[in-house]
Amino acid sequence: MALSFKLLDSVFLSSRCHRQNALHPLLGPLLTDCISKLYSSYRRPGTSPDNTPPWKMNFSFEKGVDGIKKHFGLLKKELVDHWKGPEGYRLEEYFLEQTRVVCEFRSQKELDEWVVSSDAEIGGKSEAYLKLGKNNQTALLYGTLNTEVPRDGETGYSGYCAMRTKLPKGAFDTKKYYDWSNFNSLYLRIRGDGRPWMINIYTNPYFSHQKDDLYNYFMFTRGGPYWQEIKIPFSKFFLSSRGRIQDDQHPLWLDKISTVGFTLGDKVDGPFQLEIDFIGLLNDRAHTEEFAYEKYERNPKV
Amino acid sequence: MNPHASMIITLSLIMGPLITISSNHWILAWTGLEISTLAITPLIAKQHHPRAIEATIKYFLTQATASTLILSSSIINAWTLGQWDITQMSNNTSCAILTTALAIKLGLAPFHFWLPEVLQGTSTTTALILTTWQKLAPLSLLVMTTQSLNTPLLLLLGLMSTLVGGWGGLNQPQLRKIMAFSSIAHLGWMITIITFSPKLMLLTFYTYITMTTAMFLMIKLLETNKISMMMTSWTKLPTLNTIMILILMSLAGLPPLTGFMPKWLILQELTKQHMFIIATMMALLSLLSLFFYLRISYCATITLPPNSTNYLQQWRHKTNQKPYLAPMATLSITLLPITPTLLTLL
Repeated sequence: MALSFKLLDSVFLSSRCHRQNALHPLLGPLLTDCISKLYSSYRRPGTSPDNTPPWKMNFSFEKGVDGIKKHFGLLKKELVDHWKGPEGYRLEEYFLEQTRVVCEFRSQKELDEWVVSSDAEIGGKSEAYLKLGKNNQTALLYGTLNTEVPRDGETGYSGYCAMRTKLPKGAFDTKKYYDWSNFNSLYLRIRGDGRPWMINIYTNPYFSHQKDDLYNYFMFTRGGPYWQEIKIPFSKFFLSSRGRIQDDQHPLWLDKISTVGFTLGDKVDGPFQLEIDFIGLLNDRAHTEEFAYEKYERNPKV
Repeated sequence: MNPHASMIITLSLIMGPLITISSNHWILAWTGLEISTLAITPLIAKQHHPRAIEATIKYFLTQATASTLILSSSIINAWTLGQWDITQMSNNTSCAILTTALAIKLGLAPFHFWLPEVLQGTSTTTALILTTWQKLAPLSLLVMTTQSLNTPLLLLLGLMSTLVGGWGGLNQPQLRKIMAFSSIAHLGWMITIITFSPKLMLLTFYTYITMTTAMFLMIKLLETNKISMMMTSWTKLPTLNTIMILILMSLAGLPPLTGFMPKWLILQELTKQHMFIIATMMALLSLLSLFFYLRISYCATITLPPNSTNYLQQWRHKTNQKPYLAPMATLSITLLPITPTLLTLL
């Protein structure tokens, strides 16, 4: 069944790309699974709803065969990794590691795992680009923010850009998660321009009513020519949904992490740059806080 | 929790399976199952964490589906045979639907996908209730309908469960998920023997409850939910660390511990029924489970001095006593010599 959806999915990409040319490379990886592509919920504000009937398709046999080969290969790899150890690491490595590098930027392939988006999707004028830095050692996210609101009658605010890893997919486009439970801090080596960024961690929950749940925290860059090493404990991340911080706060559970991302939306027009050397995980022995926000009942019944 | 709510939930949780066990009519049995599902739902969601809510929804949906299937199988049976007696279920379609529904309820492969997720999302005490008390009602229905059940189907479910329980738990670092896969594997053993000897299945179930309760109480005492945190358990409870290893070996079914008794008797019964291949496969597949139990024991011991640990040694808070741990641990280690007594008792 997943296979038939996968074949239909390759078909849909070819039929829809003429309409959403600018949006598809950005949006495609953000959709959760191939089934949701059939019910693509994003509508660019100010446009009319997309009414293409579902039976209009260009059937491609080669894509289907390639898809089958790729997914069975991934399935075999998953089974072998399961045998080898947790997440493919050997058990001793998994239990004894105190640091791990999650993202390094040494080639275009690693850059392709990230998705860059900006308010151009809603008709704004910001630009954001991602390229490899000097000597292919870093990633450089640069562009211009423009807070001018697009005149479509719906949008109220504008001026943001974001970078996010693609949703990890297992065999047959099943959801895959990272287990970061051995660590308690995020470690970033970056060089910014003084702007405040927000780090977002997405746990890709099972049910759709929680799909907008995001854990955020701030990253303040110093600017200047020196590299900045930022350690953010996971206990500091707060829960938000569709941009609104939730009253009922809960700690981030590290056993099912899906994506990490950076967002810039500091309401300042102008160019920005963020150079990232690597993103890693750290088990900081000195950090013992479990959760930074109120866990007690805020309005107890007396 | 509000004491009134807590009282209602606890009473319903106790009464639900008891209603099912003591019923003769399908509607009453279904009522008991629904009461137990509804009673445990707020317990799973108690801490309101998004993952706990996710676990609650998954649990509720699977259990409600299974209850619906049970009701439909009993209605088909009543439609064709004109009676609602649980022990007189002769319609083949009803039996097949009932077996599937009870497999979903219990978490047997291939309907096991909800169990690790639900146990991971909830607290340790609720996980204990889910793996022990909540299995009582569906297993009692299986015992009551055992003469009309399809043996090959049950053998297949049992074998698949043992395989999935062993394979899934292999490289799992989270303790509650490991206990979920251990539960799946043990239920596989129970289901295999149910049509040949329901009493043996009940004996297996009681020993499984004892060992699982001991293990969960130990996990709760250590306040840990990952295997890697077990590395510092010897600093908290040196003696109990040793006993935990024995409990794990008992779960794995190694002689001379209690866990060997049900496995031995099941293999003997299967051999008497001339099912040599199935008996061999079950014995071999339980090696996978043994591997991950050994792994937990290994992690609890590799950091004994002079080795160094990767984790901070845990603070010893004011004693967080678990009064039932001692008798449960003793029973789960030492019952093998009195096997003949236990067999006559059942």
